[in-house]
Amino acid sequence: MAEPLRPDVGALRVVDFGLSSPLRSQTLWHAIGYGVSAGAPTTLSFTRPAAPYVCLGYHGALDEVDHEYCRAHGLPVLRRMVGGGTVYLDADQVFFQICLPARAVPPVRAQALRMLLEPAVTAFRSVGVPAALDDDLEICVGDRKVCGHGAGQIEDAVVVCGNLIQRFDHERAARVLALPDPAQREHTLALMHRFVAATPVDPAAFQAAMVSAYSAALGLGAVPGELTATERTALTDLDDRFCSDSWLAGPVRPLLAAGTGPRARRVKVRAGVWTLASQHDGAQVTVSVVRGTVERVRLRAGGSDWPARQAELAVTGVPWGSVADVLARFGDPGRRLAAAFTSAGSGTL
Amino acid sequence: MGQARRVTVAGFVLALDRRYQPETHMWVLARGPGRVRVGMDPLGVETSGTLAQVSFVPAGTELTAGLPFGQLEAAKFVGPLVSPVSGAVLAVNGAVTRDAGLVERDPYGAGWMIEASLIEASLIEASLIEASPGGATVELPGLLADPAEISVWFAAKVADYRLKGLIAQ
Repeated sequence: MAEPLRPDVGALRVVDFGLSSPLRSQTLWHAIGYGVSAGAPTTLSFTRPAAPYVCLGYHGALDEVDHEYCRAHGLPVLRRMVGGGTVYLDADQVFFQICLPARAVPPVRAQALRMLLEPAVTAFRSVGVPAALDDDLEICVGDRKVCGHGAGQIEDAVVVCGNLIQRFDHERAARVLALPDPAQREHTLALMHRFVAATPVDPAAFQAAMVSAYSAALGLGAVPGELTATERTALTDLDDRFCSDSWLAGPVRPLLAAGTGPRARRVKVRAGVWTLASQHDGAQVTVSVVRGTVERVRLRAGGSDWPARQAELAVTGVPWGSVADVLARFGDPGRRLAAAFTSAGSGTL
Repeated sequence: MGQARRVTVAGFVLALDRRYQPETHMWVLARGPGRVRVGMDPLGVETSGTLAQVSFVPAGTELTAGLPFGQLEAAKFVGPLVSPVSGAVLAVNGAVTRDAGLVERDPYGAGWMIEASLIEASLIEASLIEASPGGATVELPGLLADPAEISVWFAAKVADYRLKGLIAQ
């Protein structure tokens, strides 16, 4: 039996910020994190960005974003304190955040996330969306993710955020990413269409269902609230911080030697669904990986006498971990491609 | 050093050549007078889940025991890495920032996180450099040093987490 959530006695503060600027659609709920850390009650908050923008996860690399495209289309680029990937956000999404003292949350992260996302699943189901929390802790309908989420600890508070996606602009979500390989952009867009879906339900009904679900799960009565003085001060500081170049740059990263090793770009569409592009010594791979298996692949190794199509067929349907072995049968081009694959897919897919 | 002083406690490998901070699951290993290496113990790794990213404050940053020296991301959850000691960061493990999985694969070795110089170096030297058995020991506040005490603490913590269903049996 898992340990239950243990929020302090009291009420569930509910704050609906309504429509916010892109900046405030982030800083408002981060400010609540500081407030809850300082003693404000457990809080469920909502907001909707008034304009589209791009948001990096805490550890996201700044060069994941096509800044030229964003500038040309007036899309601000922000960085949040919680985890997850680079996302395109707009007014067709209602953001929600549940924030509570860290001491109330189980120490095992996966368990904390499950407990803090399950009420959202209940809310989705209450408004007619047959959602479920899958083994990857993503809120899905069937195989399609319907809610992005991230989580983090802000001082002594834990916050889990997510969104109701009423409409999803797949094209723009793919376009804002810096993807030098056009084939990877096409792969990414195709997988986004397949694995990310909107749930166009009534947002007011969804918010009411969320309040009810979190109130029940936490055993706290819901009470409308507003920012505390501490939170208003934090908000001002966060507005400044989130607009600073140093914050946008992200955490310090180790310098990599220029020009060494294969160059790779990975995009996570949802848990278990990736596109990857990599080059090594004149060999180029673009690949879609679904649940650990190569689903689509494009191989280029230079020269016209190399059986690219034959190699593509050989690795399609192959488990990711076996691709390098299969390509090794295709001579020197195969070995160079294998090196590109290895670079693109180091770590867990 | 180290391999010979490792034991298995409640299914986890525990290195007994270092100190442990029980609340944060960080270990501290002496690396010379006033210099330590800091990493995460296997139970800390287990409760974090599959590590996606790790980041640290830059070398030169002051450290305060109980405050973050970095962030760890797992399952889209970003949480602080809390320093078990006060001092200053001398070096960060760039290999871990490039491949956070190193912390899971080798938490006591290649998965170390930072090296730090400690305030009150003489005190630290006395407490962290291994002395002859039976020699006088000065402990760092909040750090477990005695191997028997470490084993008892770790076993109790694992048992508690298992009882609560937080980690697998």
